Amino acid sequence: MNAVLEATGLRKRFGSLVAVDGVSLHLAAGEVLAFLGPNGAGKTTTIKMLAGLLWPDGGQVHLLGQSPHQNPGALRHLGAVLEGNRNVYWRMTALENLVYFGVARGLRYQAAQRRARALLEQLELGAKSHTEVRHLSRGMQQKLSLAVALMHDPELLLLDEPTLGLDVESALRVESMVRELAQTGKAILLTTHQLEVAQRLASRIAIIQQGRIVLEGRTPELLGRFAGEHYLIETETPLSPAQLSHLRSLGLEGEGPPYVYHGDSDGLWRLLEALKPTPLKKVARAEIDLLEVFLKVVGRA
Amino acid sequence: MLDLFWVEFKRSWLYLRRYPSEFVGAVVSLSILFLLLFLGARFLAGPGADFGERTEALLVGFLLWTLTIFAYNSLSFGLSEEAQTGTLEQLFLTPYGPIPLFLLRNLAGLGTQLLMLGSIALVLMLLTGARLSFPPLVVLPILTVLIGSYGLGFAMASLALLFKRVQQLLGISQFLLIFLLQVPLEGSGWLAQLGYLLPLAPGAHLARQMMSAGAGLDWGLLGLAFLNGLCYLGLGLLIFSRAVRAAKRRGLLFGY
Ligand SMILES: Nc1ncnc2c1ncn2[C@@H]1O[C@H](COP(=O)(O)OP(=O)(O)OP(=O)(O)O)[C@@H](O)[C@H]1O
Ligand SMILES: [Mg+2]
Repeated sequence: MNAVLEATGLRKRFGSLVAVDGVSLHLAAGEVLAFLGPNGAGKTTTIKMLAGLLWPDGGQVHLLGQSPHQNPGALRHLGAVLEGNRNVYWRMTALENLVYFGVARGLRYQAAQRRARALLEQLELGAKSHTEVRHLSRGMQQKLSLAVALMHDPELLLLDEPTLGLDVESALRVESMVRELAQTGKAILLTTHQLEVAQRLASRIAIIQQGRIVLEGRTPELLGRFAGEHYLIETETPLSPAQLSHLRSLGLEGEGPPYVYHGDSDGLWRLLEALKPTPLKKVARAEIDLLEVFLKVVGRA
Repeated sequence: MLDLFWVEFKRSWLYLRRYPSEFVGAVVSLSILFLLLFLGARFLAGPGADFGERTEALLVGFLLWTLTIFAYNSLSFGLSEEAQTGTLEQLFLTPYGPIPLFLLRNLAGLGTQLLMLGSIALVLMLLTGARLSFPPLVVLPILTVLIGSYGLGFAMASLALLFKRVQQLLGISQFLLIFLLQVPLEGSGWLAQLGYLLPLAPGAHLARQMMSAGAGLDWGLLGLAFLNGLCYLGLGLLIFSRAVRAAKRRGLLFGY
């Protein structure tokens, strides 16, 4: 598998603050990596280093083998929606912005015109082509920023909170665009605080905290790993205090119902044995979502 | 590259067309500035002083100064504005590299700047009754002045990139440009010798001579003026590229 993005050992400090501390990321064509972490964890700082906008104190970045820090030509392979809502010129129309940035990214003028119109249609901004950006709504501006990043059809997309401020429909639209882009072979790195979005989109997850990657892996494997030994138990009739204290000694938790059991399946059988003959309503392996994983990982430190 | 020039050019005209009040405002305020200088000079010279020929010379000097200022400070203003609004980082994502992009942007802005200059000239000619005429070849020394101004502009833009708020400094340094444009190169004193090394001075001197003294074009001096302009442009670009590195190291490409 050829790596579109290969970053190793990135480090960045601002004064005494170590913002990014040894972050390595790699991304292959068609992959969506959700780059998650609490506020101030170093996501934006990392993205800026990947885009060549910030010099790392240590480590290296390669976009299809080229370093954007040594060779600006490497930026042909990269499109970015940067944090904040001002990726475009407010005094120019949507179309003018796209054409301008398309050409600034290396497209020919005619090609940029064609591409801009197609993207505006695709993002349902066609009717606003000739509206100055300052008269567009925040969500429209955000979509336009995404279109700017897509103009030159780059192999790698860096999206820093691309669904921030979008209404439900627009967010879903951006989501499905990201999915389609990945299917056409783009490598996509996105940050978001909306973990449901990350869970639906990402083939891989990396969680960063205080500048270090604390968890990384394929989404289903991660969820599976954390869901692992985690069961919900509900009974038809309430448990007596005596029963309860016995069960607690076997590992039953929670104030229930439902009660929670953490442990392997042997332990679960012992617990069920002890519950006999109380009628059971439900025994289920807990579904875990990314939010819980995130809270566990981030809360642990 | 040609296409990039074209979109930069279009961008500057769009701003002009969409926000004509800014254009008119600049023309009016610069014209008023000239009139104040002009009337002030008259006042200081006392009654009876006949300006006649001098009015034309003054006006030419003023227009050249204005052109120099445009070349000198538009990049810095652009950079600090874009750092504020947040578009600066998107600009730095260009695979052409920031310096070629800003060079083209300077060049593309020349069109609207010349239009503004023409409007100011027209207004002032109407108001003062001065008549301007100059030999076509005078554009050559003026070109060397422009090249040098872009160099100084890049040096100034380096400060804008690193320290953001340079409006004050820009305002003051514009008056230093007057000095550079007026350095006398006549005579053989050390000041005259030094003058050849100062930015803008040789080209400005040549232009002045051609316009007021009706002298022909001194090709040797023109060569020197080009050399001077290119040296300062090179120096400006060198400083700017170092400033870009420093800004990227310290994370200064974004707003405040
Ligand atoms: N240019 C800078 N100068 C000084 N400190 C900075 C600079 N940029 C970022 N930082 C600091 O680096 C740390 C990481 O910031 P960063 O913007 O990368 O966080 P983030 O993960 O993107 O957070 P958020 O989720 O809020 O966007 C923060 O403590 C921030 O204050
Ligand atoms: Mg951020």
